[in-house]
Amino acid sequence: MRRGVLSKADLGPQTVEMTVVAQDPTVRTAAGRILTARVRVPAQRLEPGPTSARFRTVDYDATIGELGDAAVLTEVDDHGQVVYRDAYRRISDRQILEDPVFHAQNVFAIAARTLAAFESALGRRLPWSFGGHQLYLVPHAFAEANAYYSDDDRALLFGYFDARGERVFTCLSHDVVAHETAHAVLDGLRHRFLEPSLPDQAAFHEAMADIVALLSVFSVKEVVNLTLGEPDGAGRIDAAAVSPGAIRRSLPLVLAEQMGGALLQTRGGLRRSAGLRPPADWRKLPEWEEPHRRGEVLVAAVLDTLVALWVDRVKPLIRNGELDRDRAGEEGAKSASHLLGMTIRAIDYLPPVDFAFGDFLEAILRADAELAPDDPHGYRVALRKSFERLGIHRPPPDRVVDLATVPTAPRYHGLNFAAMRTDVDEVFRFIWENADWLELDPRYYTRVESVRPAVRVGPDGLVANEAVADYIQLLEVTADEFVGLASQWAKARGEDARIERHALLKPDTRVQLVGGGTLVFDQFGRAKYHIRKPLEDWRRQARRLDYLARTGMFDSARRVGFSTRAARGQRFAALHLPAARSGEEW
Amino acid sequence: MAAGAKPEHVTVRMYQVGFGDCFLASFTYARPLADGRRERHVLIDFGSTHAPHHQKLDWAAIARRVADDCGGKLDVVVVTHRHKDHLSGFANDEAAAIVDELAPGLIVRPWTEDPELAATATGPLGAGSRQLLAGLAKGQEFANDLARAFDARARGLPGHVRQLAEDQLKNAEAVERLQRWAADHDGEYLHAGMRSKIEQVVPGVSAEVLGPPTVDQFPDVVNARARDPEYWMLYQGLVTSGLPATMLGGGHDEDDEEENEWLALPATHDRVPALDIPPGPARWLAERLQGQQVHSLQRIVRSLDDALNNTSLILLLTVGNRRLLFPGDAQIENWRFTLDRIPKDRKLKNRLQSVDLYKVGHHGSRNASPRSLLKLWGGDKRLVSLMSTSPGVHGKSEETAVPRATLVAALEEGTRLFSTEDLGPIEAVTVEADTAGKEGFVPTPPS
Repeated sequence: MRRGVLSKADLGPQTVEMTVVAQDPTVRTAAGRILTARVRVPAQRLEPGPTSARFRTVDYDATIGELGDAAVLTEVDDHGQVVYRDAYRRISDRQILEDPVFHAQNVFAIAARTLAAFESALGRRLPWSFGGHQLYLVPHAFAEANAYYSDDDRALLFGYFDARGERVFTCLSHDVVAHETAHAVLDGLRHRFLEPSLPDQAAFHEAMADIVALLSVFSVKEVVNLTLGEPDGAGRIDAAAVSPGAIRRSLPLVLAEQMGGALLQTRGGLRRSAGLRPPADWRKLPEWEEPHRRGEVLVAAVLDTLVALWVDRVKPLIRNGELDRDRAGEEGAKSASHLLGMTIRAIDYLPPVDFAFGDFLEAILRADAELAPDDPHGYRVALRKSFERLGIHRPPPDRVVDLATVPTAPRYHGLNFAAMRTDVDEVFRFIWENADWLELDPRYYTRVESVRPAVRVGPDGLVANEAVADYIQLLEVTADEFVGLASQWAKARGEDARIERHALLKPDTRVQLVGGGTLVFDQFGRAKYHIRKPLEDWRRQARRLDYLARTGMFDSARRVGFSTRAARGQRFAALHLPAARSGEEW
Repeated sequence: MAAGAKPEHVTVRMYQVGFGDCFLASFTYARPLADGRRERHVLIDFGSTHAPHHQKLDWAAIARRVADDCGGKLDVVVVTHRHKDHLSGFANDEAAAIVDELAPGLIVRPWTEDPELAATATGPLGAGSRQLLAGLAKGQEFANDLARAFDARARGLPGHVRQLAEDQLKNAEAVERLQRWAADHDGEYLHAGMRSKIEQVVPGVSAEVLGPPTVDQFPDVVNARARDPEYWMLYQGLVTSGLPATMLGGGHDEDDEEENEWLALPATHDRVPALDIPPGPARWLAERLQGQQVHSLQRIVRSLDDALNNTSLILLLTVGNRRLLFPGDAQIENWRFTLDRIPKDRKLKNRLQSVDLYKVGHHGSRNASPRSLLKLWGGDKRLVSLMSTSPGVHGKSEETAVPRATLVAALEEGTRLFSTEDLGPIEAVTVEADTAGKEGFVPTPPS
């Protein structure tokens, strides 16, 4: 090795362990102490704040208009290197509640860990939606029982408030921090998922943030151990503690209610989802169109899967009706961690617009099969069953095309395979050359919005090398023109042409129709999958317009289906208000 | 009073008051009652926050119109809740003098307005209900401080927050007058499940109280944020001591610092005022977040607004074959108490299903006419809905607009909707019906 090429730090560990609150200050050990955990966070150069390449923690309190000192988490070691030292390995409850430097470490560690989970599963660095590299973390942003992601401010804002005579800091709640970080990451990956669409799409942002929060909390061994109860002197517990029923009952117990009804996101949702059994016809009921409630169905499906995986993994550990508590906890944490990876990997295989719950199931199954073709533990079977039990099924086969099965070959003439991994113009060229093959009408406005190379390592150590590209198609028409186009299409197919204009849409109301797809390329630049939401799926377009009109989703120019361009931060903040949950509103 | 007297005709007038409510329900009998009159009149609310068509609201003229329409005698005044848009007219001296002349015999208000309950920490109510009363009182103090904290000329978001706060002021003058009328004649404070004395004052009319429930009856009637001032008390001190100029986009007042110390985190390190932050990313963020707390205040004051709305009386009046539903500004949390009972109480369901006249809740906002209630009516075009509203008060965007376009469309499709929007000053929509037979309410042509 040549001197000067790599520093000593380059040869150091890839991660460091940081002490965090395992769930929130109300979750206590048997001795009554606040349960803490040491979590692994990617090792990186830290500036005061802490500030890293991806996060900038700023202790600014907007309510009193004051900036706190930047937290310093590093020190110079015996070799003169600036290194992170966890000053909170032994931390008192008082320090947890009162030390703003610990608050900064807690929020930074959980956010960094959450981002790392996404980046590790997707095999690449992930962009923030606002274009910059560093997301602000503001642990004491304002005196309000709220916490939210604000892309306008490039920030995650955590409030504080008083309840039952005590100061409550949302930055000390693991699931709240993980939830808000997930919103920010998801917005960077799928920024169109916040735009007007069918109810499943509105529900997905909250649901995915809840799923990440839930699995993130349960991938902490200390938390899982707590759900299993105290072991005997030999460290063993009764096997009854790991039955599906017992796990289902105990999981929500650690999702404590420090925030009470004050913070609706994450907590209420997670607690409810744990035991959720929606009616069989939930899709037809208006109250289940409300985004939070609808999202809980998706969270419940993932939670059911977690229970199934965990139970399966601990079975071999049971001897004489007992098992080792720590091993059982470890398997629970591994199940959560594995499932977290599966659900995150699915994001690349989602269509970029008009998301439906079935797309998520399809994407999880397909992305996982790509990375781990065999399914020896039956994870995918368990997942499919959990989703189908809640009425979520894979979309029709023509919505996800395995391009290897198409009898004809695409044209690669004049294309540069290397450029197709990074260059949106090159991918557009591919689409242009192969519009017929991809069953796309190139007359519509078409734009490739992103191309993302991904390198993933499967459980057997094999590397999956892919590039994922998203394109969208847009068409602006009047409501009557839409009805005309849709009717022509239906007539051409010999279908009953009953696509009608919603009563709230006037003949000249401007509507925007949206279509698009995700193209997955293999390591050689060959197109592998085409996940499609065709613009010319007029029935879907009619459902979307009906839903948007019925729920009053007009923009300020009384148009429908266009981006509302509302400030997303305040929209997330408003989402947490109780009135938004009733399903009875107009 | 003629025993067993029953009204044979009912007339409901909805007066143009802009963004507010003012209704007169008049019941006509075939023969004179004991006092020689053949009519009984119930005034339901008398307030507004915004005059129609940007004109000055002439409360005295409206009171005179009511006096004419009730023939010089008001039997009952119902004030569904304490908000300005439901009682501000009583604060007008000239209008109040006219109402005084009408000698209202019974003043009906929700249980949360009972001064005896507010004055004592004990009583018939459980801890939750007492906590709500205390929370509402604190909320009004907060609204009072908040309204004063913002400049009266404030525009944009600060102006909207100030307006929201002003709408919740105690309306002390109006409330005092109501107290006096109640003391001089009779008054009652109702909660869900009670029967109103309206039944005694207006013979032949059944007055069922569907809401508000007490917290003991239904803990979810008000969300925790509004019930427990702890959630927003941090702002109370700040507002009382004067909002930082940074919140309003102005300069920083050094004198505020000491008084704001109580808010400070139990920090072990120093804090720097926003304007002293050196240039760089932290200052960029601080400047971005300066308006943040105004958004926070807006959310807090909205939740207090919702809480007060949820103290609204929901009255179901039945007279012969006609049913009239007056829900004030009750939001879904108040309604939920009744909606949850419907599957288990067939008779209640039948009564609600056969409503002939619906006073549109909360001026047509998105959260006060439950979808399941409209579903219950099943698009019966016999049903008349009366909506007293004024567009543009709560913003022009579809998200915040009142009345909500989707609700208006549903009411137009499923009921015969009448709105005050197109009425001129002092005008009213009048509908009437016989109490017998199947024929529902029909509009009375203007005379």
